[in-house]
Amino acid sequence: MADHDVKAPSESRVVLPVDPARRTEIDKQRVPMSARPYRLLALVKQDAVVRVQKEPDDTVMTWPHLLSIEFLAAGMMSILLLLMGLFINAPLEELANSNVTPAVAKAPWYFLGLQELLAYFHPVVAGVLVPGFVFMGGALLPYIDRGNIHATRMADRKTAVVLFTMLWLLGLTLTFVAIFFRGPGYSFTIPYLPFFPNSIDGFHFAL
Amino acid sequence: MSFLERMDETLRRSVVWRSLFRQPYANDERSRAYAVMNNVFLHIHPVRVRQHAVKFAYTFCLGGLSFFLFLVLTITGVYLMFFYVPSATQAYTDILDIQTKVAFGLLTRNIHRWGAHLMVFFVFLHMMRVFYHGAYKPPREFNWVVGVVLLFTTILLSFSGYLLPWDQIAYWAITIGTNMGGYLPLFNTPVNRLLLGGLEVGQNTLLRFYVLHIMFLPLVAAIFLAVHFWRIRKDGGISGPL
Repeated sequence: MADHDVKAPSESRVVLPVDPARRTEIDKQRVPMSARPYRLLALVKQDAVVRVQKEPDDTVMTWPHLLSIEFLAAGMMSILLLLMGLFINAPLEELANSNVTPAVAKAPWYFLGLQELLAYFHPVVAGVLVPGFVFMGGALLPYIDRGNIHATRMADRKTAVVLFTMLWLLGLTLTFVAIFFRGPGYSFTIPYLPFFPNSIDGFHFAL
Repeated sequence: MSFLERMDETLRRSVVWRSLFRQPYANDERSRAYAVMNNVFLHIHPVRVRQHAVKFAYTFCLGGLSFFLFLVLTITGVYLMFFYVPSATQAYTDILDIQTKVAFGLLTRNIHRWGAHLMVFFVFLHMMRVFYHGAYKPPREFNWVVGVVLLFTTILLSFSGYLLPWDQIAYWAITIGTNMGGYLPLFNTPVNRLLLGGLEVGQNTLLRFYVLHIMFLPLVAAIFLAVHFWRIRKDGGISGPL
């Protein structure tokens, strides 16, 4: 069409009269070719229909840049595991015996915070409500924290950061107390300091 | 050219090196891309990654190391399975035999034990890293949920493995642990019966925990790991400072 326009200057082109009341922006722009102070000489083809705004590339090749770090980390972890396995033996006590209750029975370390809570609260609170709340709250976190989704800097999300930090610090403290300060019968003891009346020689804990 | 570079060059030109690797070291982008894309294990990664993802101090490799520990635990666990029978009368002596008679048995059991504790610890750390970077925000909400399920599965894997040596630590730790779950209103009795296979920790419990530990929970973990990794790619790769 453009070609045709160029070859035969469209003096003959008629702009249909439009009812002035119904003239739109487009109609206003419809000027006869002869009325224009310029004319169409040629059309230049664009590279593509959609011009893509190419952003500056901030990527690197996975090999070697990422994989070498991963292999190095895996290697370091292997060495750590090998050294631990060679020099520290996994604990093994007497054969299980339901008739012999040990001086203190402790849950695995990741449940010790809950066991410590049992010393303060009713079992339904410590054994059901708190872990249930932490687990469900943890899983649903992205649907609770609906604040600014672009706020990834800590300064922009103080509430979330402070609450989360307090939660794990609390869990860490409870676990710490349960590991080091709980002796026979789960009573409060202080390890290695004989001048305290409730001190014991060492602490009761197995990994 | 530095000393290390010259060493590197000499090594790559050596007869032994060239007999070992059939292709020259990938120096151009095309062959480096193929190195990742054409490898069944490596193609979990995209061919190119964003620059910040490569910074060690950004991720500390915590997720990757958790997965690596999962693999180490699978391999050492399979080895231990050859010598272990989940029976209340035999399990403890099997552990003693593993430690004294089986080749590398003690080392394997030690690595399995410490690796398990490290895995729980690293998954915790990974979750904290993701939280502090706000990486659970859209579009990664669902992957965070999958991650929480994986944390829970990891803890259950560790907990179920805790009983298997059938010693006093194992017996009483599981007794305490399952007692805690016994306070669940309405469901306490059925859940405890289902988990323990009786009123207290016994032969049924050992068998149930064994099956959970070596088959059911690893399968659950594997499925959710697959979703977790797939979603990382689908949700726009590893998160970064936006």
